[in-house]
Amino acid sequence: MLELKGVTLAYGPVTAVHEATLRVAQGEIVTLIGANGAGKTTILRAVSRLIKPKSGAITFEGRDITGLSPDKVVRLGLAHCPEGRQVLALQSVRDNLELGAYIRSDTAGIRQDLDMVFGLFPRLRERAAQLAGTLSGGEQQMLAIGRALMCRPRLLLLDEPSLGLAPIIAQEIFHIIANLNQQGMTILLVEQNAHMAMRTAHRAYVLEAGLIVAQGDAKALAGDERVRKAYLG
Amino acid sequence: MSLAWFLQNLVNGLSIGSVYAVFALGYTLVFSVLGILNFAHGAVFTLGAYLTYVLAVGEFGLNGLLAGMTLPFKLPFALALLAGALLSGLAGVAVEHLAFRPLRKRGADALLALVSSLGVALILVNLIQYLFGAEIYSFPSDVLGTLPPAVILHVGEGLVAMRTIQVVLFGVSLLLLIGLAWFIQFTKQGKALRAVAENPDTASLLGISVDAFILGTFFISGLLGGLSGTLIGVSFGLSGPYFGVAYGLKALAVIVLGGLGSIPGAVLGGLVIGLAEAFLPPDMSSFKEAVPYALLFIVLLVRPQGLLGKNAEEKV
Amino acid sequence: MEDFLARYGFLFVTILQQALLGLSLYLPLMAGQLSLASIGFYSLGGYVAAIMGTHPALAPLRDALGFYVYPLEWLVALAASTILGAALGYPALRLRGIYLALATIAFVQVFGVVVLNMPIAGGAIGIFGIPQPFENRLAYVWFFGPLLVLTLLFLWRLERSGTGRLFFSIREDELAAGAMGVNVTARKVQAFVLGCALAGVVGAMSAPLLNTWNARQGTFDAAVACLAYVLIGGRRSKWGALLGAALLVSLPELLRPLQNSRMILNGVVLVLACIYMPQGIAGLFARRKA
Repeated sequence: MLELKGVTLAYGPVTAVHEATLRVAQGEIVTLIGANGAGKTTILRAVSRLIKPKSGAITFEGRDITGLSPDKVVRLGLAHCPEGRQVLALQSVRDNLELGAYIRSDTAGIRQDLDMVFGLFPRLRERAAQLAGTLSGGEQQMLAIGRALMCRPRLLLLDEPSLGLAPIIAQEIFHIIANLNQQGMTILLVEQNAHMAMRTAHRAYVLEAGLIVAQGDAKALAGDERVRKAYLG
Repeated sequence: MSLAWFLQNLVNGLSIGSVYAVFALGYTLVFSVLGILNFAHGAVFTLGAYLTYVLAVGEFGLNGLLAGMTLPFKLPFALALLAGALLSGLAGVAVEHLAFRPLRKRGADALLALVSSLGVALILVNLIQYLFGAEIYSFPSDVLGTLPPAVILHVGEGLVAMRTIQVVLFGVSLLLLIGLAWFIQFTKQGKALRAVAENPDTASLLGISVDAFILGTFFISGLLGGLSGTLIGVSFGLSGPYFGVAYGLKALAVIVLGGLGSIPGAVLGGLVIGLAEAFLPPDMSSFKEAVPYALLFIVLLVRPQGLLGKNAEEKV
Repeated sequence: MEDFLARYGFLFVTILQQALLGLSLYLPLMAGQLSLASIGFYSLGGYVAAIMGTHPALAPLRDALGFYVYPLEWLVALAASTILGAALGYPALRLRGIYLALATIAFVQVFGVVVLNMPIAGGAIGIFGIPQPFENRLAYVWFFGPLLVLTLLFLWRLERSGTGRLFFSIREDELAAGAMGVNVTARKVQAFVLGCALAGVVGAMSAPLLNTWNARQGTFDAAVACLAYVLIGGRRSKWGALLGAALLVSLPELLRPLQNSRMILNGVVLVLACIYMPQGIAGLFARRKA
């Protein structure tokens, strides 16, 4: 469904990712793990087109998206839930969710999906009229995920969903991620919490200083000695 | 200090203040979305006034390239005002393309954008002079049609005169401000605009085209500028292609007073400065021009974020 | 030859004068402060010289000093600008970025209105008939030339001095400089006052050159022109103001045959320079150093 071929990403003169090649097949959960600054978030930002690759190609469902602007990519069915939640703090929870459905015009369908998201995250329903900036970290993460779901994406990019969250809440989020996948959502997950990520994902890529150093079945990699020592120890 | 005196000054202050508010809002919208001040706004203000004049009166002045030319039609004032405003909106879009977009694509800093907009202002104003000439243009006294020139009320011992044009100024401005507020607060596109202003990256991740919204913001800003320019032009005449410069600077005082980037702040700031100018004692009238700037200076020293702004953040 | 000197003599002097005004803006910019106040002090200096040159009460002084009244005018202008600059600077320089720029714009506007209301300054008409030290305008090179050379020398020394390095450290990162113990506000005021003082002296020299002096010498447009010199010439180099002034002052002259379109082309140059030469002309040469 998603393919990166030889993608090199740079911030000015500093290369953040070297010739990354990775693949996400439909129905999978693929996770990118690695230390801080390894380039994981950079890769996601390239896929959602917030940054432009220096070289290489990105294809989504067979279509080359390397040159598109971010808003066009969303319309193709790809949603990015960014690092740090990035909710629209000055607008209400409901408005945030409705803006998530910006590209859609089917009012009835949107209302249905809104109900679905509230069903998934009941705490958001309670706070529907509150300003998003007043929510707790965990609630904001739920809002960010819910918002990403509102555009009915076929591929969901999740960037560090557990960052800064209490372990219990993080577990809750991962449950929801697994559930979404069971209902057919393809997910590309970037996580520092390698433990939880490896347990939830089908396949994994390990990133170190901008290079993919290991890849394969998530359970198998979790058992790998090097990976264990570096990220799970 | 009779009631009549108070009401008269109130009428004067509110009518001019509401136009200041509309004009200042043009600055504020662009600032909230791009974080920079568009110094070409005053030029669009001027352009709007000239365009509406020509559309309403049907002919050009005695100087300039288009001297003596007449249009095959003359629009009633309301239509001319609308058409002039829409054309000014397009001018605003042109300004975005010429002065701001190329710099945005190159990641240039705010100072360059500021000077670039000044360059565009220079081009526009001189283009106006080239086409329309530098003489004074006065709207004919019957431009508002068959309405009486003023309504005079007896209040207590005195008289309060409300010129029709003042009612028009206040009425049009009020309508615009309410319309804009409703749009921004309650419509889907208005919320999308607020999203772009708050966090452009996140907005684009929701499928909102940031470039399109920036264009739209400049269109609305230009519309507000051209409209307010026309209203002031009708009230006081068009004293030449540079008449927008002074108002442009005044509008800067308005937005700082109200709080940079704050929409209600622009409205409040405009009304405060309009009222301050109106209530200034007549023996200090030669200092009238200094009022907005003196207020601006005091506000900057005492409370830089203005009346309604949040904590001041550096943009340059 | 006579004709050439007559026409281009004034242009050359104007370039020197405008370059100096640009440098008066460059000084606060060395400490990272965008101030448009110079033009107000230019106006002040001019009024000082104009009043000293024409006021009847000072006639005995003028007779006594002869030619030396001009240096005295410059000194008085320098003193006035320094004092007023410090008085303005201390409160204003607590502001940063665009807020400071706006405060300086506001100051210039208020100053303009105040001056219009002072009878000694001649109201809207201003002061005219200011006595000239020289017969032709090219001779003013003897005023502006040495001042420019002195200023450039001063800046050359300043850039290498401790004070200069403090200015640059504030320009690079004001918060970091403060954290390292630099008295940031005092240094910013210092840079600011230096700029104001320079502008005041330039104004004092310019009053006889232009023969009349009124509030139109201190407008927002003029301030913008100074900013343009520095930006287009290069805002990180003392040569920037000179390069920018040379280009932007001579451009309308060179384009004179195009009459009406000159100012439009001026604007076009400004926009193109911002887009294609963000570091200014000097920046094109300095790229290797960075």
